[in-house]
Amino acid sequence: MAIIHQTAEIGHVAEKQLLTSREKGTRGQWWRFVLILLITIVTLVPVAVVLFLAFTPSVTSTTSGGFTAENFTSVFATTDVVLWLQNSLLVTLGTVIVSVIVAAPAGYVLSRGRSRAVSGYSLLLFVFQSLPVITSVIPLFILFANLGLVDNLLGVTIVYVASAMAVATWMMAAYMDSIPISLEEAAWIDGASLFRGFVQVVLRNSLPGVLSTAIFTFLVAWNDYLVAIVFLRSAVAFTLPLGVQSFFQQNTTDWGSVMAVAVVMMIPPVLIFVLLNKYFSVGGIGGSLAGQ
Amino acid sequence: MTTTTAPSTRGKPAVAGQRRRRFKSGTSTLFFLVLPSIVLLLLIHGFPLIQAFIQSLHNGTLVDPGPFVGLQNYIDNLTSATFWKAAGFTVVFTLVGVFGSWAVGLALALLLRTRIPAGGIFKVLLLLPWVVPIVVSSTAINWLVATSSSPIPMLFANLGLAPPLFLADPTWAKILVCVFKVWISFPFMMMMSSAALASVDETVYEAARMDGATSQQQLRWITLPMIARSTYISWILMTIFCVNDFPTIFLVTGGGPIDATNTLVVLAYRTVFQNQQVGPGVSIAFMMTVVLVFISTLLYRQIRKAAI
Repeated sequence: MAIIHQTAEIGHVAEKQLLTSREKGTRGQWWRFVLILLITIVTLVPVAVVLFLAFTPSVTSTTSGGFTAENFTSVFATTDVVLWLQNSLLVTLGTVIVSVIVAAPAGYVLSRGRSRAVSGYSLLLFVFQSLPVITSVIPLFILFANLGLVDNLLGVTIVYVASAMAVATWMMAAYMDSIPISLEEAAWIDGASLFRGFVQVVLRNSLPGVLSTAIFTFLVAWNDYLVAIVFLRSAVAFTLPLGVQSFFQQNTTDWGSVMAVAVVMMIPPVLIFVLLNKYFSVGGIGGSLAGQ
Repeated sequence: MTTTTAPSTRGKPAVAGQRRRRFKSGTSTLFFLVLPSIVLLLLIHGFPLIQAFIQSLHNGTLVDPGPFVGLQNYIDNLTSATFWKAAGFTVVFTLVGVFGSWAVGLALALLLRTRIPAGGIFKVLLLLPWVVPIVVSSTAINWLVATSSSPIPMLFANLGLAPPLFLADPTWAKILVCVFKVWISFPFMMMMSSAALASVDETVYEAARMDGATSQQQLRWITLPMIARSTYISWILMTIFCVNDFPTIFLVTGGGPIDATNTLVVLAYRTVFQNQQVGPGVSIAFMMTVVLVFISTLLYRQIRKAAI
């Protein structure tokens, strides 16, 4: 009897312990949930401010209270926001396409090559990545002025491609590292050239790598301010960052309109990011940088 | 076709030989593959670097190269209080930017690795500061702090504290741009840390727990050493990003008040484009470049050598 009683008690105690630890687990989970919720809310305050003000009627407006889209209609009617958007899209698409075309083969060499020349190239990329943009921008301004590339969207596109080049190449190389070399070897044995092996085997299987590189270069070109402010001088050539900034300086009190333009600028990167979130990764560049 | 006649029993060595031969005979192809990127890099970074050095020895404007002045621009800068003030703030801004965003990013990566309801949504939302254009977020910051009746100074007032004038008080302006930089950069660090943490084997923790290691001990003696290489790389990249950062500061404070938030990049920009002094401005940028390239090459070799 006593023994049975004892085991029952042990069982009971064990059950109790199990319960408390499980309870503690879920409680810990909720505690972490609340913590991260608070952090996220605080983090998103600036984004929320932009959205809130963009949809709030401006001081001069006749509508009072509630949310309105009139800031957007007035901004589209009275400013060059459509032109700025068009310029930004042109520059950004150009940068993304050229960057991928240039970085994919370079990334392939970085991923597969194991010679001194390749290490030298890798160091070159790293050194150029660490150069301050400001150093190249000033002499380039003078060079581009002679070539007619100042105040020209092509000029800024070239600069963006070059400034995104190092990271884009590392990202491509990082993805290509995950494609087994035996696939190309099989192609070579079948008589394919190195170039055909790269295009038909590696590049065809690199869509995720291409997408993450494209997202990265998109952000570089879309969000840049320094290159744009140096090279784009007249209002017709403005990209969105300059448009937002100049509009902000002229209308410091009309927050509704300023934020409406800001929302227009914020939508494309956020949309791409949300849709292609899966491919949005910089984690891989560490590996290719350190050359495993 | 000739390769198919080779006896297949040679197996692996044959493939390795094939591989080496293919790369050797393909040297010209390899060169052709990297050529566009090398041309672009030399044109946009290499050529201007030489040009910048020549400009820094002259005292001209954007259109006219001006007279040769030797090292005068460098001497002027190195003896100017504004230059050293900017250099000092560059160091502060970089240290806060790198370690602040690393600490926040790593903490969030660790937190998000545990099971949390709706964890995936938080992961996406917390990356937004890095995705939202700085031109947009700086406008929001401006609305939040610009005047004494803006929301954040009002919050201070409601808490019974003196409302700070973020854009007029040098100390508060410095704090503001540093916090803003951490806000922009922590998602990058979070992504780097998450990627590194994902590669740490879970069984190591199980073993450590069996040996009675507390969670602090696990963090200090397992997690941090195992992600060390990735951490160093993210520090180096973030250092480069911070030293070269222009819009974070320029769009919020413009380098003011009284040059308090000038970093070397902002100072170089203002000297060239606002004061029209090309030689002095470029010499600031050039000195920065030399120091940065020296440090980054040194660190780069260190990572390659360490290969933990």
